[in-house]
Amino acid sequence: MPILQNAFEENLLTTKVDWLLNWAKLNSVWPMTFGLACCAIEMMAVGAAHHDIDRFGAGAFRATPRQADLMIVAGTVNFKMAERIKRLYDQMPHPKYVIAMGACATGGGPYYKYGYTVVKGVDRVVPVDVYIAGCPPRPEALLEGLMALQRKIRATAVVRKPAITA
Amino acid sequence: MDFQGIYDHLKAKDTPGLLTADHPRLPDPENKKDKGRFGSPFVEVDPQHICEFMVACRDDDRLGFDLLADLSAADPAEESEEFWVLYQLLSINHRHRLMVKSRISKEGANINTLSGIFRAAQWHERECAEMFGIQFNGHPDPRNMLLPDDWEGYPLRKDYEFPEEYHGISCV
Repeated sequence: MPILQNAFEENLLTTKVDWLLNWAKLNSVWPMTFGLACCAIEMMAVGAAHHDIDRFGAGAFRATPRQADLMIVAGTVNFKMAERIKRLYDQMPHPKYVIAMGACATGGGPYYKYGYTVVKGVDRVVPVDVYIAGCPPRPEALLEGLMALQRKIRATAVVRKPAITA
Repeated sequence: MDFQGIYDHLKAKDTPGLLTADHPRLPDPENKKDKGRFGSPFVEVDPQHICEFMVACRDDDRLGFDLLADLSAADPAEESEEFWVLYQLLSINHRHRLMVKSRISKEGANINTLSGIFRAAQWHERECAEMFGIQFNGHPDPRNMLLPDDWEGYPLRKDYEFPEEYHGISCV
């Protein structure tokens, strides 16, 4: 017999709408399959068994922006790609979040000075919620970034639009 | 064959376009300004006859260069008036290779395409064309290879100036 069967009979559970919605949201942040450079290798490591991003509910990498909540920009963004990133971001449904993973996505990284086609930070194209330092960041750093995003989601309230600053 | 053997063979066959051979050398101890030259030996070829030269290299039985391993260009200095176009030939059967250099003028830089001789040249030439602004005459598909189609300027030229913005995204 399932353990929860008949357990809540003649009972009520009370909770706050904010808490419940945030709990559901932050434990099912589905990222988009989206790797641009070497950071993507670390992102794959996070998805694999050893680090296992599924413990945080973010292991369901979606192959389409329409099913994704989170865009992990893992790698170097160049101008040719920037327009595609913008389009993919626009195709994601609300609420949507962006993590800039690594030095390149954060601010151009090693290509800051002489990278003539490199965008000096993906926040010039789409709004970024969490920046992760490192070149590339360790898998633990990406998990920490995800947890930072979860803290951010936990702080949002349902009646207000989530504050996203560029 | 080693480099000297290849060069002697090219010379004996009176290959069209062949100019000189250049070897790496140590610096001259008497002359402090002479820094010598590193790298591989190469043969220099007249850009007017590059196609005939390549056909001769490919179809000769003893040379048998059946693979164009690389095609690149270089801008030696801002004050220089020439680009170098560099070809790396490789013979898989004979296990030898040859570096070929062609000097072309920066003013209206152009050279004939090799894509009819080695198909591998197509993509390399497209990249050289967008990076240096060298025109490859007779190229079957002269679009940009890596850069966006509306990119302005030739990034690997020494006098290249970085753009201020591209499609509204600031570049600095």
